[in-house]
Amino acid sequence: MRKSVLSVLAVLLAASPFVHPAGSLKADEPELTALQVLTEADAVVNAPADQEVTLEMILIDDAGNETKRGARMWQKGSDRRIIKFTSPAEQKGIGFLDLPGSVMYLYMPAFKKVRRIASHVTNTSFAGTDFTYDDMAAINYADEYSPTLLESDTADAKPAGPLAEPYVLELVPREDITSDYSKLVMSVRRDNFYPVRIEHYSKDGELWKVMKRTEIKSIDGYWVAREVEMSDLKKAHKTRMVLGEIKFDQGLSDDLFTQRYLKRSAD
Amino acid sequence: MHRIAALTAITILVSGMAFAQAGIGGNLQTDLRLQTGGDNMFSWNENRLTLTLSGSPTADAHYYSELWLSTYGLPEVSSSSNLSKPDRVSPWGLDLREAYVDLYGFIFPSLDIRVGRQRIAWGTADKLNPTDNLNPDDLRDIWDFGRHLGSDALKAMLYWGDFTFTGAYIPTFRPAVLPTGEWAAALAPPMELPPGLTLRNLTDTVDMPVNNPKHTSSGGVRIATALLDYDLSLSYVYARDDLPLADSIAFIPVDTMGTVDVTSRLIYPRMQVVGADLAGDMFGIGVWAEAAVFLPDEVVMTLDLSALGMGTQDSTVLADEPYLKYVLGADYTFKNGIYVNMQYLHGFAHERGRAGLEDYVMLGAEVKFFNDRLTVRPIAGGLAINDYGDIANSYAVLYGPELAYHPVDNAEILLGAHIIEGKATTAFGRMKDNDEAYLKVKYSF
Repeated sequence: MRKSVLSVLAVLLAASPFVHPAGSLKADEPELTALQVLTEADAVVNAPADQEVTLEMILIDDAGNETKRGARMWQKGSDRRIIKFTSPAEQKGIGFLDLPGSVMYLYMPAFKKVRRIASHVTNTSFAGTDFTYDDMAAINYADEYSPTLLESDTADAKPAGPLAEPYVLELVPREDITSDYSKLVMSVRRDNFYPVRIEHYSKDGELWKVMKRTEIKSIDGYWVAREVEMSDLKKAHKTRMVLGEIKFDQGLSDDLFTQRYLKRSAD
Repeated sequence: MHRIAALTAITILVSGMAFAQAGIGGNLQTDLRLQTGGDNMFSWNENRLTLTLSGSPTADAHYYSELWLSTYGLPEVSSSSNLSKPDRVSPWGLDLREAYVDLYGFIFPSLDIRVGRQRIAWGTADKLNPTDNLNPDDLRDIWDFGRHLGSDALKAMLYWGDFTFTGAYIPTFRPAVLPTGEWAAALAPPMELPPGLTLRNLTDTVDMPVNNPKHTSSGGVRIATALLDYDLSLSYVYARDDLPLADSIAFIPVDTMGTVDVTSRLIYPRMQVVGADLAGDMFGIGVWAEAAVFLPDEVVMTLDLSALGMGTQDSTVLADEPYLKYVLGADYTFKNGIYVNMQYLHGFAHERGRAGLEDYVMLGAEVKFFNDRLTVRPIAGGLAINDYGDIANSYAVLYGPELAYHPVDNAEILLGAHIIEGKATTAFGRMKDNDEAYLKVKYSF
């Protein structure tokens, strides 16, 4: 039961990669170190003081069949996030709370209980989506990975216009971080430091998942990827997350990111 | 007629709520079980409409209700007159599971209250929660572990830093719903007649508490917080046992051959429960523990054999001495996706008193396929032991493999079995000849 409780959630969280404002560093500064690029990318993605987002998640199997999930997400800074499912009916009301220190909670309306999510679950997928709990938690990559600058010509990282090739970073989990990935390869746009593609490699070095961020727009002064797609190459399955309504800097209270609010209905 | 009136009211309510743009949801579920032995009798047949209405008209208020409309069992027809009674041809029931209002920031910003019929679920263990004693048990489907009725209650939750204080008051008493048929007999201690007597009829009366707050009310308090990697709570409950105990049994002779009728009186004794629980993470494994010390009022049973010329005898069926129920559990997900769950349980929901508690080891494992469309649970069940000195004659094994298939969103098809092997010295062992296979279909909307 416990697993079934947890596994229902899966689809929600890949949202933090959505937002970010233009960074202070410029595209014509090629001498940047890997850490500077990664830090800037984190800063751009987590730039808003807070955000409220309506999400649609589309699960697509290898035959092209689609199923959809709806959710609302609130985030404050780079380390607090709460997500509540609004559809489908069997998942409506399920809530996920991500707090600093990798503390995560799940609320299942059917059981009227908030459960702490144990670490063995954080690397598992939610209900058929291609995101894990960790994938979808708010994150500063620089806190958890050691970056190295690589050469790259990843086409997905090229924005339209006369912009240069992206920065390409290889990210290796720090020793104190538990991860199912041996490394990530992140492509970061030079013009706005938005990370547009992240390749996830398994422990045996195989390319496992690819996250792409597209439809990148400037909204209220923040860069936002209106679509994020995570492809699982082993399962031939992908999940596309599409942003709907988005609000920035509403002054969300810390009280919103508590078990008290996790239990409340998202009606 | 009252059911027609109830349905009419529901229809009006639903229509009104829909007009008011309330959230309407629920599910349809069918559940059919067939015994695998003997004459392959149907052991369960239920079709249920679960209807929920909810809404948040303001940021500080929320309402929720859940109604079950069920048809269950098979036609109860034993004479032609029954055929003109729809309730007999198609037994059905209506059950308001919950209906409450939430008021957030009530008087103080950090205080939330919930008023109305509600489920107050305490405890961190998986379904089997010894600290979960405010709501009556709902044992109608014994395989639905942990199911409880809602209680008409006032619950207040005060949030202060990392602490949450909960207080609940339940003014009226509702007894547990007991299982029907052979399960009812299995969960009750077997009656032993004095030598030479033969039972003809067994009847009983239930002595409900006097209908005033002093006798019917119950309540509890709980404090919860987080420490390091664990969530912790302490609780106290003052309530009545929701399962009845006999405090008098009388034997009435029917003839001179030793045939007797037996009448008994059942009561719901008071009890106090002090509980504690925790849940967290240890070396990457999810762990939880939950314990409750029960402090029951003493129940002395009078055995009246005076009609047989043997006088009366008093015996203590529940001593006023504390007894402990507890659960230790852990779960883990392996890298290949296999999930396992184990719990050690001392004292099932229906068991009472130090000498009446059995031990259970519950195991579960599952793995998902086809992008979570198919879930296979090859291991689900447990082992019950009530006498470690004679395990061979005091055990029961419960085994419940299951397949769950989600053909489309919101739809679930379950196919499984309940298999029991064991000795009649255990409650579950007494049901060893009632193995069954089941098919359940559920659609949420």
